[in-house]
Amino acid sequence: MAHHDVSYLAPKETFLKTVMSWVYTIDHKKIGLMYLVAVLLMFFLGGVAAMLVRAQLWEPTRTVFVSEDGSVYMNPAEAPEGERDSLKTETRGIFFQPITTYVSRPAVNLLSGSTVGAVITASQDGSPSVSLPESDGQTSNPLNIALTDDGSPIFTETTDQRGNKVWELRRENPDSDEPGPVLASITVDGRGNPSAEAGSGLSTRKTTIREPGSTITTNNIYNRMFSLHGTIMVFLFIIPSIPAALGNIFLPIMIGAKDVAFPRLNLMSWYIYVFGGIFALYSVIAGGVETGWTFYTPYSTTTDWGSVTSMLLAAFILGFSSIFTGMNFIVTVHKLRVPGMGWFDMPLFIWALYATAIIQVLATPVLGITLMMLVFERMFGIGIFDPALGGDPVLFQHFFWFYSHPAVYIMILPAFGVISEMLAVHCRKRIFGYRAIAFSSIAIAAISFLVWAHHMFTAASPVANVIFSALTFLVAIPTAIKVFNWIATMYKGSIAWTTPMLYSAFFLFCFTIGGLTGPPLATLSTDIHLHDTYFVVAHFHYVMMGGTVLAFIGALHHWWPKFTGKMYNEFWGQIAGWTVFVGFNVTFFIQFFMGTQGMPRRYATYSPEFELMHKISTFGSWLLAIGFLIHLVVFAHSVFAGRKAPRNPWGGLSLEWETESPPLEHNFAREPVLTHGPYDYDTVVPPHYDPALYPLPERSDNAPSHH
Amino acid sequence: MIDLINTSSSIINTASGALADSWWTRMWFRHSGSTFAPSTDALYYYIFFISAFFFVLLMGLLVYFGIKYRRRPGVAAPLSPAHNTKLEIAWSVIPAILFAVMFFWGARSYLKMVVSPSDSEVIQVSVWRWQWEWVYPNGATPIQNEKVNDREMPFFALPVDTNVKFVMSSQDVIHSFYIPEFRIKRDCFPNRYTTVWVRPTQVTHRWDEDLEKAVPIDPRNPGYYLFCAEYCGDQHSQMANRVAVLTRTDYQKWLEAQADTSSIPLIELGLLVSRNNGCFACHSVDGSRGSAPTWQNIWNQPRPGSRDGKVDFNYVRESILEPGVFVVPGWPNNMMSYQGRITDREILAIATYIQSLNPEFAAQAQEFSRQEMEAQESEDADPIDPLEPEMN
Amino acid sequence: MTSAPKDKELKPWEAYIPQHHWRNATDEAEGAKLGMWLFLSTEVLLFAGFFCAYAFFRLLYPENWHDASRYYLDWEIGAANTAVLLLSSFTIVLAIRAAQQGNRGMMLIHLGITQLCAAFFLIVKLGWEYWPKIRDGKLPGIFFDYPAVYAQRAAEKAMIVAPDAIIPAAQVAGDYASTFTPGAHDHIFLSIYWISTATHGFHVLVGMFVIGWAMWKAYKWHYGPRHYTSLENVGLYWHIVDIIWIFLFPLLYLV
Repeated sequence: MAHHDVSYLAPKETFLKTVMSWVYTIDHKKIGLMYLVAVLLMFFLGGVAAMLVRAQLWEPTRTVFVSEDGSVYMNPAEAPEGERDSLKTETRGIFFQPITTYVSRPAVNLLSGSTVGAVITASQDGSPSVSLPESDGQTSNPLNIALTDDGSPIFTETTDQRGNKVWELRRENPDSDEPGPVLASITVDGRGNPSAEAGSGLSTRKTTIREPGSTITTNNIYNRMFSLHGTIMVFLFIIPSIPAALGNIFLPIMIGAKDVAFPRLNLMSWYIYVFGGIFALYSVIAGGVETGWTFYTPYSTTTDWGSVTSMLLAAFILGFSSIFTGMNFIVTVHKLRVPGMGWFDMPLFIWALYATAIIQVLATPVLGITLMMLVFERMFGIGIFDPALGGDPVLFQHFFWFYSHPAVYIMILPAFGVISEMLAVHCRKRIFGYRAIAFSSIAIAAISFLVWAHHMFTAASPVANVIFSALTFLVAIPTAIKVFNWIATMYKGSIAWTTPMLYSAFFLFCFTIGGLTGPPLATLSTDIHLHDTYFVVAHFHYVMMGGTVLAFIGALHHWWPKFTGKMYNEFWGQIAGWTVFVGFNVTFFIQFFMGTQGMPRRYATYSPEFELMHKISTFGSWLLAIGFLIHLVVFAHSVFAGRKAPRNPWGGLSLEWETESPPLEHNFAREPVLTHGPYDYDTVVPPHYDPALYPLPERSDNAPSHH
Repeated sequence: MIDLINTSSSIINTASGALADSWWTRMWFRHSGSTFAPSTDALYYYIFFISAFFFVLLMGLLVYFGIKYRRRPGVAAPLSPAHNTKLEIAWSVIPAILFAVMFFWGARSYLKMVVSPSDSEVIQVSVWRWQWEWVYPNGATPIQNEKVNDREMPFFALPVDTNVKFVMSSQDVIHSFYIPEFRIKRDCFPNRYTTVWVRPTQVTHRWDEDLEKAVPIDPRNPGYYLFCAEYCGDQHSQMANRVAVLTRTDYQKWLEAQADTSSIPLIELGLLVSRNNGCFACHSVDGSRGSAPTWQNIWNQPRPGSRDGKVDFNYVRESILEPGVFVVPGWPNNMMSYQGRITDREILAIATYIQSLNPEFAAQAQEFSRQEMEAQESEDADPIDPLEPEMN
Repeated sequence: MTSAPKDKELKPWEAYIPQHHWRNATDEAEGAKLGMWLFLSTEVLLFAGFFCAYAFFRLLYPENWHDASRYYLDWEIGAANTAVLLLSSFTIVLAIRAAQQGNRGMMLIHLGITQLCAAFFLIVKLGWEYWPKIRDGKLPGIFFDYPAVYAQRAAEKAMIVAPDAIIPAAQVAGDYASTFTPGAHDHIFLSIYWISTATHGFHVLVGMFVIGWAMWKAYKWHYGPRHYTSLENVGLYWHIVDIIWIFLFPLLYLV
């Protein structure tokens, strides 16, 4: 059939058909590409929130002393003797600017026909106040209310039979000094609700007025920013980033399949993701969450921001999207491998996605039910997590981390997979210890279910803590094995320092730091000190961002020529890569020291001794942002003006390099025949690659055997 | 295994002892203030040096391979083994052993942290948004305040070389009790007690007879911080207090002074009690709007709907003990009851303090405060009637 | 693509060809079943959340839990529903058997019985369990109001007996009241009861929809000896719904 020979990106006959071919698509590559665009957008949003968080910490919430000549002192004692008396205090902080609040108060409109003649409400001291309507900036007095010289209405106070105070509002009487006839009588009850009885020809209507209260000072904006950053990055960016975007595009191609097992379910997963994303964005627009991404009870059940429920529902819905992707991948790997591809002939990226999918399927439902119970807790007060009703907040933490710890591996395992691919291709080297890497992915997936309570060492019981500390070290071993294997893969390679290779090296650097700062947190006594400090913040950013995000960006460059059909600019790609790498380390390395020095996390302000470190960290975040912006330009340039990509730009051996760039609608013109393993770099010249550029090593009789 | 831990911990203890207070220790940790700190720090350094060794090794290899085996046109990647069982077993087993040491050592130190000695002095810690309160064994809550960052916060003192146990619970959400210098942290939950103990080792403050308060021995070291380490909302980052360590004799003097508020005139006591109970987190005294009504100029103002119709001693008393009975229109009903947390004289003090915030009644408040002081001093005098002054 | 010859005589199940990306129909059927099993494992883990919460609070408040189960739930109704669900599981197996034999009539009859059982379950649930509980204030969390309703009942009972004056009214009320002692955490028991049974009930409702869909497909001759994958998956789903109830019933009603 004709469409088999066409690139999946090829437009249809009309624009409308092209659009529809994306909206209704069941092609895994299109769905993956839509996921990719969406997660990059979410990365941008979450990144903006992160920049604002760092901006606040550049100038934290605090009171400073300003002298008349404008010098700023943290402490009046620092100022010169003579100036101390004239110091003025000033509240500083990016998000701590005093904000005007609005107060809604009950009021009564005094109506003449349909014209509002006056608005009556209760003032602070319990007496009524009357405001006259304004038009074009002019105060009018349509009811001819008696006014004092400065224009405020005159009341007379009386008492009715029941002893209530009643105020009478009178009409002006220009002819004499006597007060005019009563316009309305006003009573204010104990709760400050005014009521009015109108005189002849007038009617009243209950209403509310919204008036500016005074200013309040609050950290709520900062608290919402870091919560927004966490929720978006975790649920909408990192979890779907590699599996749902790149995994969707490449998993079927790399095992020689035409599509994933359940293409419609795949499309549904994408739309569920969009639906969940809408809930999350609604939550932001409706005021944002300020609970942190962890939603700890009872804070999350007592905080009165309505948007928390909507964010919880968003995470619940996004869970289904993740489950469906996982189910699809497991079945695809089991049933759709090309004939002849055994389990140990699969690329390691597939192993990683398989292990990830298992965690997605087994852990996400627990998060779903936990968040549902939390929603019920907020809506119906079911009392399971609320200590005020006999429930247990620690139970929530157990439930939450039972998912969210394995979720950490949902985030990092796919990154392990892409690193294995990129290192092998760009080092032209068989991956060292294939089976060890494959089994360690599965081992990590299994152990990840047993270590959740290490997030709760300061909350849970000592016995549980000792057990979970031991189990946590177990998960460190397969992770360490992987890093050793990757470094060993570079040994005697032919290493091309392309952007993906550069990112693989950055990954190894940052992930090793992230991994090695895990043991102090798994060790009980040191974790007691480091728990909930910036040490933890630095640790998980080194793992999540230094690990997953750097691997993701590297993988984008690695596969960009394949799924877009265009080459990117190598020089600027590397410039951007170095900027990101330097910016990342400047931002987060200093945070380890903040943590050991005892700077707690989620703080809108800090003591002066942390100022220099915070400023360095914020400065790094700017570099990081610049690096990502350069990447954006490089990708945009590639899309619009990139050179056409060959089928196999890097000389890779896995199946995705055998098809066209970009791939055909059904991936391959005919089902591929497996003639070599994915890592046979020392025996096979990669398909569609110039043999002159790919010298094979001399083989001798005692050449090392295959795996 | 235990021997190994003992040996390595003693080596590292010696090594870090030699490094004590060098630039190296200062770079990593705050001042070591408790018996837990040296062992925690030593374990940290043990993990750090192992990590640093492996990091340098791995990154050295990365850079070396990256340069040595960079791609050269026409040159093939030489053959190399695809795996090496001995090497792979080695790099699985060696980290496993190192991890095992970390685990046992950490668990051993941790179990010491959770089992408090029976001779501990017990301090009750109560925490709510956004305030810590310590109740000392003699029933005192501190009246000394210290400025932390830009807030006046209660000042907490501890005796040196004494086991102190904190029994903690929260009044609302989860908080976490964290004193970095002691290397201790424990979450505080509503409706539940958690404990943590500590044995301070370094004296930071002394009792100053003239100022009648504890002052730093070294002005550059103003004492330790007490932080909340579990996110608890708006002013989470501002609930920091000073913690100081005194010699046992100084501590006793300080503690006696905290228990005795009778010599403090009412208006001053009112300010103090309000501060210690976190009233100023919501109520302002300068007329600005917080999350509760200001106290400025409210004395004698009408409060329609309340029992007495205006702000007086009874009104203030009721607002403190049963805040939900009358809620001022326009503000949420979110104050907790201070029933049982505050004495009658303290309520009187707060009311007098509020009275003094209205210029019209300031003189009257001063006069009442003075009379009450005199009555305190002369035991023969009739107990003063708090409702008296507003009758005037 | 290997397509079967177009023949008007062929029924849909005979003419079935797998989707384009499957190599053959067996792979497709096995894949679909594997997918279903994975989905069922997520269902089990979803309910595992309720079971954990149940176990946790049962350990915390064992006495309270024991009494609450006795005071608030009728095991007879639960047992009836259990029996009905077991029967429906059996009939859906028979429906699959009928599909394997190509017997459309029996397939429809058995699916119909399953459907009736499901409807019976939901009607009993709503009419005989949920409605009386709502009326009596046996509600979750902050809506729990049964002790007040009970006290009211005791008072009314005393009023009715009082005119005879054979037994003193106070004694009647006292006797009545002694049959019930509210526990401190009844509302949490009821919370778990409500959210777990309601979630299960929702699954039964979804089950009715998918069984209905399977009936329509069966009616249109989509199932036959060589192709009945989706019917089998519907059966698997229905079994898990039953099994979850078989765990919920003893935990909530009997233990």
